[in-house]
Amino acid sequence: MASQLFRLAVRNTTQLPKIFSGKQLLQNCIRTSTTAVHGTSEKCDIPEIKPTSPEQRVTVRKYDAELRERLTDFGRYVAECLPRYVQRVQLTCGDELEILIAPEGILPVIMFLKCHHNAQYTNITDIAGMDVPSRMYRFEIIYNLLSVRYNSRIRVKTYTDELTPVDSICEIFKGANWYEREAWDMYGIFFSNHPDLRRILTDYGFEGHPQRRDFPLSGYVEVRFDDERKRVVAEPVELSQEFRKFDLSNPWEQFPNFRDAPPAAEEIPIPEPKK
Amino acid sequence: MTSKLAKPVVRQVKPLLSLDKEEARKRALNLYKAWYRQIPYIVRDSYLPKSVEQCRAKLREEFEKHRNLTDIRVIDMLVIKGQMELKSCANKWSQSCHIMNFFKESYEQKPKDFLSKFMDGRP
Amino acid sequence: MLRTPLHRALLPCVREALSVSRASASTAPEKIEVFIDDKRVLVEPGTTVLQAAALVGVEIPRFCYHERLAVAGNCRMCLVEVEKSPKPVAACAMPVMKGWRVKTNSEMTKKAREGVMEFLLVNHPLDCPICDQGGECDLQDQSMAFGSDRSRFTDIDHSGKRAVEDKDIGPLVKTIMTRCIHCTRCIRFASEVAGIDDLGTTGRGNDMQVGTYVEKMFLSELSGNIIDLCPVGALTSKPYSFTARPWETRKTESVDVHDAIGSNIVVSTRTGEVLRILPRVNEEVNEEWLSDKSRFAYDGLRRQRLISPMLKVGGQLAPVDWEDALVSCARALVEAGPHSAAIVGGLADAESLIALKDLFNRLGSEQLFTEEQFPVDGAATDLRSSYILNNKITGVEEADLILLVGTNPRFEAPLLNARIRKSYVHNELDIALIGPQLNLTYDYTHVGEGPDVLKQLVSESHPFARKLKAAKKPMIILGAQQLKRPDGAAILASVQQISQKLGKNKDGWKVLNVLQQTASQVAALDLGYKTNARSILENGSNPPKVLFLLGADEGVIQRSDLPASTYVIYQGHHGDVGASMADAVLPGATYTEKQGTYVNTEGRAQQTLVAVTPPGMAREDWKIIRALSEVSGYKLDFDTLAEVRLRLEQVAPNLVKYDEVEEANFFKEASELNKDASAKLGNESFDVKLKNLEDFYMTNSISRASETMAKCVQAVMKQKQSKYYEAQSA
Repeated sequence: MASQLFRLAVRNTTQLPKIFSGKQLLQNCIRTSTTAVHGTSEKCDIPEIKPTSPEQRVTVRKYDAELRERLTDFGRYVAECLPRYVQRVQLTCGDELEILIAPEGILPVIMFLKCHHNAQYTNITDIAGMDVPSRMYRFEIIYNLLSVRYNSRIRVKTYTDELTPVDSICEIFKGANWYEREAWDMYGIFFSNHPDLRRILTDYGFEGHPQRRDFPLSGYVEVRFDDERKRVVAEPVELSQEFRKFDLSNPWEQFPNFRDAPPAAEEIPIPEPKK
Repeated sequence: MTSKLAKPVVRQVKPLLSLDKEEARKRALNLYKAWYRQIPYIVRDSYLPKSVEQCRAKLREEFEKHRNLTDIRVIDMLVIKGQMELKSCANKWSQSCHIMNFFKESYEQKPKDFLSKFMDGRP
Repeated sequence: MLRTPLHRALLPCVREALSVSRASASTAPEKIEVFIDDKRVLVEPGTTVLQAAALVGVEIPRFCYHERLAVAGNCRMCLVEVEKSPKPVAACAMPVMKGWRVKTNSEMTKKAREGVMEFLLVNHPLDCPICDQGGECDLQDQSMAFGSDRSRFTDIDHSGKRAVEDKDIGPLVKTIMTRCIHCTRCIRFASEVAGIDDLGTTGRGNDMQVGTYVEKMFLSELSGNIIDLCPVGALTSKPYSFTARPWETRKTESVDVHDAIGSNIVVSTRTGEVLRILPRVNEEVNEEWLSDKSRFAYDGLRRQRLISPMLKVGGQLAPVDWEDALVSCARALVEAGPHSAAIVGGLADAESLIALKDLFNRLGSEQLFTEEQFPVDGAATDLRSSYILNNKITGVEEADLILLVGTNPRFEAPLLNARIRKSYVHNELDIALIGPQLNLTYDYTHVGEGPDVLKQLVSESHPFARKLKAAKKPMIILGAQQLKRPDGAAILASVQQISQKLGKNKDGWKVLNVLQQTASQVAALDLGYKTNARSILENGSNPPKVLFLLGADEGVIQRSDLPASTYVIYQGHHGDVGASMADAVLPGATYTEKQGTYVNTEGRAQQTLVAVTPPGMAREDWKIIRALSEVSGYKLDFDTLAEVRLRLEQVAPNLVKYDEVEEANFFKEASELNKDASAKLGNESFDVKLKNLEDFYMTNSISRASETMAKCVQAVMKQKQSKYYEAQSA
């Protein structure tokens, strides 16, 4: 059943039904998606994301319902295949698939996405970090992958804190080497088994990790050339001018059209495995 | 929503390098020794305007700063960073000005007591 | 006077609503169910569509509507669709009906808004880049949010937009009348709140103009508020013109110190300069208004400042280092020991007051005085009820009779006066006055001129006594300046007696109110400062060896009163009266430069925050005293602001309970203690210091240094020469 779904999910664009234009296409998409939903939910009792109504408003971005459907199915398939690691699957901004996993599963998940015949995400676009100090695990690590074979992108997210090491994916993707060094340099996220983990962007002897939320915008030190000592010296930063802070608040509601906009991320429910 | 199947998120500590305190201590001592042995070369190669003794005193000071640490993972993290620093010094990636920044010679002393802060006009 | 017309005519629906709700008040008012964008909301009958929408968080755009002014309904921007109604309705004026379904984002609503916006923009100049309102302009914001995204405006003939001549309405408000969209907010403010019917419209249709009919100035102590009210750039601030954009300034919430009301303000600063001061909403103090002195005297913060410590060398003050200045002052203080005295002025914060008091007590001196005088007989300042505005400012709205004794609230506390006027217009409040005839912007009964009326009121032989007695919630507001008179104690005592009688069986309604003149007075009295500064001269054999003036600039003690040997230390921020008689000058910080506690005339503790750093070598005041204490060897045991406030809390806990009013009690005891004094009432009529508008502008060292305030005085004088000037109007 799963493979059936999966096949449906990762169908190549060329295999899509012939594209109609305008309203016809939209209606077509909705019909196909609703029937598909109906079909699957009958079989394995999965609660389904409601198909969003075709977007009429000019200023709001429109989604390809077919694409959403495929991504949803593929996301669910990944969750089924890797139930130990996948914690949540979601669609952000309407048509971007995100797999949220436990940090232990980073190697198997990435390996799966790279090597599985129906995924083939062979290209690591980049690795990003995110710092939310209020969380128990303050850092989020975000892997952006691209499948050239299926013309598809996917995002894998996991989490860690200042002291918990995350497995390096350099073994799987050679290209991740510098990205991980960058994450280490900017956030202080430690990647275990990295072949050459050291700073990449900051100066030698630089203290702190600049992308952390608690790192001051102006930094701690400023450097200048000292004529007496004949070398560059660092000093605690002292700003002669205060920061410019722009206050752009407005008493009026700026975007009433977006008052009922869907949330940025829609969760895709993961089915319970059959016993 | 976390799926029931995925691993529950609990605060479990994954070791960075060392498994127990003794190991962490050993790593710290090893790092200290490595630095200690490297210092004469660093002083010579990058023409530091400091003597070997001064540098070793500084080395000791930097380690003493963290003498009260007990969390193994924090110690490990500092050891890792110290290791990286040593590597960049030994490979002459760091120039003398980077190394001299350890001495913080150009840092101005800030007034501490009320009266001198007042005269200085600091908040 | 506007009372009846506004009351009856301008607010028909609101009044109707009020009477409806009042009529059914006994039977718990039934709430009406309406739907705003399909969201259900229950509202009181008589609520307008606009208010109902605000309850569910939908802000309907508007230009002419303002919560604190009468509804005009002439801008049409608030048009919304109501289901089953053929035309869109004006949300600001239309009370909701049961079961209405209002659509604030429907096609019809949007079209209506775009249409209105298009009409407004047909004649509004496109000069946003040179307009001071840019960035905080309602028209700008709303045309972005609700206007059409393309223009149909084509001016093929280059006939131009409508142009209107600018008016000269004084040195504070700049007018660019071409930008006016005729919302009439300024007109309604002038006639309803300020009570000056100077603004109005002339002409109709495209020729309509807002103006003053004849060439004259808008002379009001509240004129600056029309700048805030103006939704476009037609009325802007003259002193602030072309200075900054609102998004690039830094805003600090603070408290005003120019009068004893303690209006809440926002100080806009950029690169260490105060650029303007705006009001901050506080329903209990200033609502959202601000007096012109508080708003425009900020340029005085930069002029005539003391920026370096100074010592007198050969008869001339010469700038010195802090070290030298502190050492000289400390030496003088230590030598004088108990023979030192201090006088504090009206702008001192509670932190410096407590620091100074502690220092002098350590030196062995109890000679600490406030510049404002207050009777010392009887209970004097021991009981708090006799020096604060016990009913609070909001009490004015509940009162049904106010008796003003020897005070001119219009210029002593313009916002209190605005409240009284509000109550007069809306709540049928009656006002009576004992003192000189004044123009208070509302009608009042002139009961008498002098203390003899008080005597008759005590004995209930005056005809007005009956009226006082009949009032359910009477308030007596006594001007603190009358207490400076030789018979001040007697005046206070008689007013206390009258209030005591009136206050009986009014469950908790206090009658007695004292209106202070300066921002520091209540805090100083709370901290136990004495009030008879002149007494240091009276024990003639032993004049003070050191006189410490903390911002005392009113000249209560002149240099000529003191023997030449007296060492005068002045600590303050402006080179004014105090600094000119000093042997040593210690530069302090103004209210925008320090975090300080001020207690207003109600007894409400509020704090100012640091908006800019003190200029030059000036320092925060409590820090100067703290440093002086250390140099003189009587070190005060606090180093940080938190520690000073801890000390404040020990002495007077109410001073650190910010934004709370600590109410006073022991009215009866205070009255009893003062009883003996009441016999000594003098015969001289009451006189008030601030009688006319020109007296209002310059009352303390900051406003005296302000160029804008000086221009205002000149403008008023010029206006008085004008043929259109009516003696009664200002």
